[in-house]
Amino acid sequence: MDNKGSSSLMPQIRIRGLHKIFGPDPELMLEHVHNGVRKQELLADFGHVLGLRDINVDMKAGEITVIMGLSGSGKSTLIRHLNRLIEPTDGEILVDGEDVMKLDQSGLRELRRRKMSMVFQKFALLPHKSVLQNAATALEVRGHNDDEREGEARRWLARVGLEGYEDSFPHQLSGGMQQRVGIARALTANTDIMLMDEAFSALDPLIRTDMQDLLLELQSELHKTVVFITHDLDEAMKLADHLVILNEGEVVQQGEPQGILLKPADPYIEDFVSDINRARVLRVRSVMQSHSTGREIAGEVDHNDTLESLIAISGGDTTHNYRVMRDGKAVGELDMRDLVKALTPSVAARSFSER
Amino acid sequence: MAFYDWLFDSLGLRAWCDGGKQDGPMSMAELLAKAKGKQAAEDGESFPFPSLDTLHEACGAMPRTREMTAGLEQLFLDVKDSLKIVLDPLTQPLSWMLDGALWLFASMPWWVLLPLLLLVCWSITRSLRVSVLVAVSFALLGFIDHLDSAVQTLSIIFVCTSISVVLGVPLGIAMSKSDRFQKATLPVLDLLQTLPSFVYLIPLIFLFSVTESKLYGIAIILYAIVPVIRLTDLGIRLVDRDVIEAADAFGMTNRQKLIGVEMPLALPNIMAGINQTIMMSLAMVVIASLVSAPGLGVLVLRGIRNLELGVGLVAGLGIVLLAVVLDRVSKAALDRVDKSKAGGL
Repeated sequence: MDNKGSSSLMPQIRIRGLHKIFGPDPELMLEHVHNGVRKQELLADFGHVLGLRDINVDMKAGEITVIMGLSGSGKSTLIRHLNRLIEPTDGEILVDGEDVMKLDQSGLRELRRRKMSMVFQKFALLPHKSVLQNAATALEVRGHNDDEREGEARRWLARVGLEGYEDSFPHQLSGGMQQRVGIARALTANTDIMLMDEAFSALDPLIRTDMQDLLLELQSELHKTVVFITHDLDEAMKLADHLVILNEGEVVQQGEPQGILLKPADPYIEDFVSDINRARVLRVRSVMQSHSTGREIAGEVDHNDTLESLIAISGGDTTHNYRVMRDGKAVGELDMRDLVKALTPSVAARSFSER
Repeated sequence: MAFYDWLFDSLGLRAWCDGGKQDGPMSMAELLAKAKGKQAAEDGESFPFPSLDTLHEACGAMPRTREMTAGLEQLFLDVKDSLKIVLDPLTQPLSWMLDGALWLFASMPWWVLLPLLLLVCWSITRSLRVSVLVAVSFALLGFIDHLDSAVQTLSIIFVCTSISVVLGVPLGIAMSKSDRFQKATLPVLDLLQTLPSFVYLIPLIFLFSVTESKLYGIAIILYAIVPVIRLTDLGIRLVDRDVIEAADAFGMTNRQKLIGVEMPLALPNIMAGINQTIMMSLAMVVIASLVSAPGLGVLVLRGIRNLELGVGLVAGLGIVLLAVVLDRVSKAALDRVDKSKAGGL
């Protein structure tokens, strides 16, 4: 993480004009796609599948970028382009300013070894190796000696809560624990970038929540550049610093998750976000007003509190007005009536935020 | 006047036919016809199939079927010498290994040999049940004075299986890596598997002297190597795609992937292939006794040739016993491999 300083200005991963077309002659089809042929037409008329169309995303260092979409939206395809497990048809992927597309085999291997590690939906642990050996995979690949490997692997296994399981085999662990091994394996690689492909989707809900908390906790300490794929909006809202919503291989909307929730760009996303528990996801900072209203202050709240917790504090009384604090300083005020308005999806929320 | 005269006449080939006319040896059918007199010849079919022999009657320049097979034989004899120059040195180590193994096992007294076999069995199976089975089987074979023959058979199987594995596993890996190579190899494997085992021996007898052990060694290896190749290929192709993807994502080289991921995960399948290879070696080693392979097969052959019913039956049962032992030992080894990662996938 030595390039943290410079990369806080430049995005660490920058995707420009990325296209992926599956089929016998993708190059030829690219022209059709540039001319505006849609996914359905491309499949029906030319027999090619449009995986990704003109993806442009910047992923900042130290942030969690969540790519969300339903199955078939191209999200798993997209994440596999970052380390070129899938070859793109067209476009640029810059990692720390270096074009991944231009790397040869050994350059690509170095990238996968030193810059990116990956966590998989189905864990993809080596069944014939112990938990400790699995966690040390990346170091073994790089040719570190046994002692170094073991020390690092033990440290990270302990960090994800698997102390005492080092000598077990993957099949002896539950799904949640197996994924902890998967995370420890990625952390042991000690890369700036961590790719997580539906990492928690195969886990049951309670364990999934645990794992999300674990990820956030690790992230507050390690500040990795995390690219997280999910089909679950609640998970996306909880984890994302930057949210990218994909549909049919195209980016429909991207930005700060609270912003997307309050200002959905099109009916597809409106539909998507209407089912979510807004009180739990929205935070005080997103619905507060940054100027003083001069009204009576009923108390102080943190800018990162969820609306749900504020409702609990206020006891459901909508007449109160709260002062919003950030690092001990007042940054704005929140009227409980605004809060209630923000809880209604789409139209009401939109007219509010345009004010 | 033969039936197909008109064909050659109409094609204007009469001159060619008569020009090439030669009196080869008579075919059996001709001889019979002659013996029965002209009458029989004219009783022949009114519309015969245009086979080589029938056409030859009409046109002397057409070869007869027996001339074709003779030609094939001549072709084989012609290339034989140059083929031998290449094959002889290549295969000579096989003779040495077979002779060496036979000598080694034969020169061991039984009180060294049996404990050694048990030790090997125990170390690869770790199964008391299987080890007891092996002990009882060999004690029984020893008791009926078949131990020497059984051990000869065993040492041939041991050498041939080892070579099959050494050659077959890399071939299987190559097949799993290249679809084109797989496509090219599969017909050859099919041929090796379906060619009747006696037919193997025919060209080999021409190439090598029957006194050389490599003759039967090659026959056994060609016949028995197929399953280990097939199952290595299959095993590697069946390795979980997700795990392969993970290996790629962590930047493994192809070599690291092969040794660290694919081979270990394909091992149960490879072991199943080795089990099959052992069983097929055993089947072939009996037939190979026709070309001087020593062992229990020789006794079976004696039983057939001299109609010594008892000798043949006892030797046959000895082979069954050996088969059971080999199967159980290799299966127990396979189970051990499976168990170390059971339920992992």
